[in-house]
Amino acid sequence: MASSSAVERLQALESIEKEIAAVLQNAGLAVQELCKDKPNERQLDRHTGQFLKSLQDVESGLSQEINYLTQVATGQPHEGSSYSAQKETQMALHRVEHAKKRLADLNSVCTQGSSQGPQQ
Amino acid sequence: MSQQRGITQSKESLLKSYNKRLKDDVKSILDNFTEILKAAKVEEQNQVSTLTQSDQARYEMHVRAANIVRAGESLMKLVSDLKTFLILNDFPSVNEGINQRTQQLKAIQGECDTKLLALRDDMAADLYDLEEEYYSSRHK
Repeated sequence: MASSSAVERLQALESIEKEIAAVLQNAGLAVQELCKDKPNERQLDRHTGQFLKSLQDVESGLSQEINYLTQVATGQPHEGSSYSAQKETQMALHRVEHAKKRLADLNSVCTQGSSQGPQQ
Repeated sequence: MSQQRGITQSKESLLKSYNKRLKDDVKSILDNFTEILKAAKVEEQNQVSTLTQSDQARYEMHVRAANIVRAGESLMKLVSDLKTFLILNDFPSVNEGINQRTQQLKAIQGECDTKLLALRDDMAADLYDLEEEYYSSRHK
C-alpha cells in the first residue's frame, strides 16, 4: 500500500508539472485576448480565472507534498537492502545449475553405456 | 547525536528552502501577470511622447513575461527536486519496495529448492534400478 501511495505521489507531481504548463498557457491566452482589436471580456475573464485557479492548484499541491516530506524525512540515509535475499536466490540458482550439470553427466554415461551394451 | 541533529537541521532547512522557493515563484508569477495587465492600460499623454511611452510599455511587458517564464521554469526545477527527495527519503515506500523485492526473491528461491527436492526423490527411486543394473553387470 505504501508503494502504491509512492507511485501516486509521483503521479501527483507529474500532474503538477502539467498544471504549471497550463498556468503559463492560460496567462498567455489572457494576454493574447487583450491584444485583439475587440477583446471579448467574457473570454478574458475566463482565461484569467483559469490562470488563477491553476496557479492555486499548483501552490496547494506542492505545499501538500512539502508538508508530507517534512513529516516523513529524517536526516539519515536509508540503509536497508534486499541483498541477502538476492544472494540466497543466486545460490539456489547455482544449486539448480549444478544439479543440471551432474544430470547431464549421468545422461552421457548412460547413453555411452547403452551404445556399448550390445557388445556384452 | 549532535551530528544527527545537524543532519536533521540541514534537512529542515532544505524543506524550508523548498517552501520559500514555492512561495517566491508563485508570487513572482502573480505579480508579473498583474503588472502586465496594468501596463496594458492606455494612458493619456504624459511628459514623453506616445511612441516612447508605448516603447517603454512594450519593453516592460517583455521583461515581465520573461520573468513569468523564468518563475515557471524554477517551479519545474522545484518539482524535479521534490521528486528526487521523495524517491530517496520517503522511507515507508522504500521499505515497502525492499520488502516486495525480498519476497519475490524468496519465492524464487523456495521454488528452486522445492523442485530440487522433488528431483532428488525421483532420482533416489531411479538410482535404485541403475545401481542394481550396474552391480549385476560385468563392467563393475
